[in-house]
Amino acid sequence: MQIIGPDELVFGVDNVEACREFLLSFGLTETETGLFEALDKTGLRICAEDDPSLPAPLPTSTKLRQTVWGVADQVTLDQIEAELSKDRDVHKAEDGTLFCKDDLDFEIAFRVTRRIKLSLPAEMINSPGAKPGRGPNELGSNEDAEAKPRTLSHIVYFVPDMEKCSKFYTERLGFVVTDKFTNTGPFLRPQGNDDHHVFFMIQTPPYMQGIEHLAFHMKGPTELMLAGSRMVKKGFESFWGPGRHKFGSNWFWYFSSPMGVNCEFDADMDKHDGDWINRETELSAENSQMFLFENVEKWAPGGPPQVKK
Amino acid sequence: MSVQQTLCRLDEIEDGGSKGLWPDMRGRALVFAVRQGDRVRAFINVCPHYGRTRLGWKKDEFLNAGGDKIICSAHGALFEVDDGKCTLGPCLGQSLEKLATIVQGGNVVANLADLPDRRPEIRS
Repeated sequence: MQIIGPDELVFGVDNVEACREFLLSFGLTETETGLFEALDKTGLRICAEDDPSLPAPLPTSTKLRQTVWGVADQVTLDQIEAELSKDRDVHKAEDGTLFCKDDLDFEIAFRVTRRIKLSLPAEMINSPGAKPGRGPNELGSNEDAEAKPRTLSHIVYFVPDMEKCSKFYTERLGFVVTDKFTNTGPFLRPQGNDDHHVFFMIQTPPYMQGIEHLAFHMKGPTELMLAGSRMVKKGFESFWGPGRHKFGSNWFWYFSSPMGVNCEFDADMDKHDGDWINRETELSAENSQMFLFENVEKWAPGGPPQVKK
Repeated sequence: MSVQQTLCRLDEIEDGGSKGLWPDMRGRALVFAVRQGDRVRAFINVCPHYGRTRLGWKKDEFLNAGGDKIICSAHGALFEVDDGKCTLGPCLGQSLEKLATIVQGGNVVANLADLPDRRPEIRS
């Protein structure tokens, strides 16, 4: 079952203008009113919370209304329809998109992915002993560089029953557990994607159910730092980071958003195949990151002592 | 007698709006205030959900679109403006820590002893 990853996340919000300001600053492009896309055309759809076209909200604080999963082809879509129709209503739209709920009542949809294949350079580095990533006179620092999210990387849910949720996605939709935080939740990747995770869940009381964070892949750690620093400079609120996770190895920097969800820049995530044996550990500050930094105001040492005013 | 500390002028907070106050050495607001007319309510800028989460999504932005609830933009928790009680979200039933303030001579004033330490926190 070739599910690739989240194509589009649909939000119903109280403050559309604030979300627009945030998402444009985050580096996404508004390609049609309310649709904020990364370079590969995955992204977020922002609607007013009373928009009648939206599915009903969960009875919690989450503003997420629907997760649209992108799949490789019509064959996969037919497989999903056959599988999920066994025990629930699956609505099929004219364009072939499938709509239903998962086992925890999250609204989900499946469509042949709208993402385009990217052909872009990675962040290139020079390292003694290795072939140079950048040739002579190719500079690594460019403060004016664009920093645009490349693709919607992963989503994280707060769930009231991680076993039930995990079973639905692994047993019914073929997701694979790559690693697990004991009593918290598993990291999942679908068969059509070799990223360490496109989906993670965190066990919580039922009144917390919703989206915990969403993440976009950046070009590399330098672009992530550039994008995050620009957010801080504009006055946006850093929630966590920058740092580097252990599970998945991705660099991270999270920002609080007016959608009421943390939005993460991530970069350089591990890839896995069927040979990978998943690991399990307790969730802790020590286990969730290799290191954690915080942005500070720019400063530079000089030569002579500072003159007292 | 307690030492009083001016946090800002009343007219620096937009009527019906909010403002981050009492910045630490890195410029991050340790306190925020909500103004409705001449009434100001101030809270410690920490969401009860996690010990170190600041509430806003941007500088001075602590309210929902209607301006009638405080919102934590990390996970969308909503709090009553009057008493800081969480009515929806991860910290349901818990409350923001309220900071007693008075408006005096056009200034928003608190007791210095009630204010958080402005030095960068040392974390265990």
